[in-house]
Amino acid sequence: MRQTAAYFLAQLKRAARLLPGQILVDLAVCVCAGALAWLLIAQGAGAAAGTRYRIGMVGDLSASYLGFGIAALQEMDDSRFMVELVPMSEQEAEEAFQRGELYAVMRVPEGLMESIVYGENDRLITYTAAQGQQGLGTMVMGEITDIASTLVTCSQSAIYGMQRILADQGRGEEIGWETDKLNLALIQMALSRSGFGEVEILGYGDGLSLELYYFCGGILLFLLLSGLLNSAFFVQDNRAFSCFVKARGVSAPWQILGEYLAYLLLVLGGLFSLCLPLMFALEKAVLAVPEWEGMGAAPFVAFLPVLLPAAALFAAMQLFFFEATEGVVNGILVQLICGIGMGYLSGYFYPSAFFPEKMRVLGEALPSGAAARFAQAGVMGKIPGAVWAAVLGWLAVFLGLTMLVRWSRTR
Amino acid sequence: MDVEITGIKKAYAGKKVLTDISFSLEAGSCAAILGSNGSGKSTLLSILAGVRRADGGSFFYRGADLLRHPGQIPNVLGYVPQGDPLMEELNAWDNLRLWYDRETLRRELSEGALGMLGIDSFLKTPVRRMSGGMKKRLSIGCAVVSHPGILALDEPSAALDPVCKEDIRSYLEAYRRAGGIVLMATHDAQDLELCDVCYILRDGVLHSWQYDGDFHKLAEALG
Repeated sequence: MRQTAAYFLAQLKRAARLLPGQILVDLAVCVCAGALAWLLIAQGAGAAAGTRYRIGMVGDLSASYLGFGIAALQEMDDSRFMVELVPMSEQEAEEAFQRGELYAVMRVPEGLMESIVYGENDRLITYTAAQGQQGLGTMVMGEITDIASTLVTCSQSAIYGMQRILADQGRGEEIGWETDKLNLALIQMALSRSGFGEVEILGYGDGLSLELYYFCGGILLFLLLSGLLNSAFFVQDNRAFSCFVKARGVSAPWQILGEYLAYLLLVLGGLFSLCLPLMFALEKAVLAVPEWEGMGAAPFVAFLPVLLPAAALFAAMQLFFFEATEGVVNGILVQLICGIGMGYLSGYFYPSAFFPEKMRVLGEALPSGAAARFAQAGVMGKIPGAVWAAVLGWLAVFLGLTMLVRWSRTR
Repeated sequence: MDVEITGIKKAYAGKKVLTDISFSLEAGSCAAILGSNGSGKSTLLSILAGVRRADGGSFFYRGADLLRHPGQIPNVLGYVPQGDPLMEELNAWDNLRLWYDRETLRRELSEGALGMLGIDSFLKTPVRRMSGGMKKRLSIGCAVVSHPGILALDEPSAALDPVCKEDIRSYLEAYRRAGGIVLMATHDAQDLELCDVCYILRDGVLHSWQYDGDFHKLAEALG
């Protein structure tokens, strides 16, 4: 027993010797990765904020209703923040389109409004987009065109019907006035369409905002790949040492347990290195998480204990990978491939809610998925027993497997 | 005889490595086990050290069968594996502290085996900055913590310069003179000069062999 205790102490001492250098490396990596991420996000947000689809309107724009509709869309409707409709000539549109200044060109055929007024529907508006690919933008624009056509057709049918009724009743002098009134009522209805329904965003992974989802995902990804940063712990070929220690009475399970605790210390050191800049960023509001808005770093500090089981699980997994592979380079490669693969499947890079069902189930069943569910449930304040069981189960599996490998190597 | 080894067997996944290993040694003797790579020398030493389990046989030391009571092996046998069983990040003192309590360590450094090995001259040196000879001396120092009656060394002179070899040889001679039994697996002709008896391990069986200083004969015998 004295030997085992001494072995544990020696392993911890070994980790403590590596820890200062390791923290510096982790800190440098965290700051560099954080700065890069912040730059990309800021650049992306700026680009997104500045994106306003410019659409050239060409053709017969002389009808007063059409002009009125375009003016209403550009001045009153919410779509004005995303879409800019610019009346121009065919020549101007062609040149602007070639210069890439227009996202699309909408061509209104001659006599469109008359054909609508007379109930005809054979003069199609043509919409020419710059992007050949059927992306989200062109898809949405197609939908908008479709909705607009339906609205115009239905509303003009109503106006046409009303005009017929007024004419039949001998109230021809009222037709102009009543048509304007009905058109305004229809436009008013279309413009206030956002009041028709309420949009509720459920969020990702147990109702987290996208920001908090990626915040958790980023920390977990760091922990998942921390084996790459901590590979110095495994540089020494410990086969002779394991045999020697066994000969001195410290069996394989105790060896692994001692090494695991020492390695966990390094992983926690890495987590600490990551948390410091994050706390600073939250405190200074450089990093904004909607759920923690205005609260500084305090909610994050309260959230930190939730990360410990995930750190313990990933430490056990990394120990197993290094134990099961021959040489540090192989261990690093396995860590990298498995880490990226598991991280992707478990939604660290992209919300898993968008994945096909089977892929999502697989991602949740993996150790990385168990850790993600644990962190997400933890941030919401309640961790179900099944999630605890999954994390502890994987932890036990990895420790057991590592002990088995060590035992088989020294038997 | 102080050591009586009989009928030790070992197979890996059905492949027999040791079929019938039997020999005996008396206090103060030194035995070399020779053999080509993969012949089972390291396996035999690791079985005697209690690292691996034999499929059969016995290992008696002064009347007690250590294979039946493996818990006694660390007190009786000091084992130095081929690679150095040291923590690279720690210095010599910390590595020794893993096995020695503070008082014993101080005593051994001043007047015991560790002093004889010259370890006190590099106590604060981290293992990763040590030479091969320093590492080997430190490994032996770690192995002799319990003043074992038997010292089993796996290739003790591998990759060492002549000065280091001589240092280790001096220690082993002193260890023998004090009544210790040295058992070493080796390829090195210089190590054989220290030994009273040589065995060649071939096809899982030990064959007694007399080394007369002729290296070519040795190569033929191993071939």
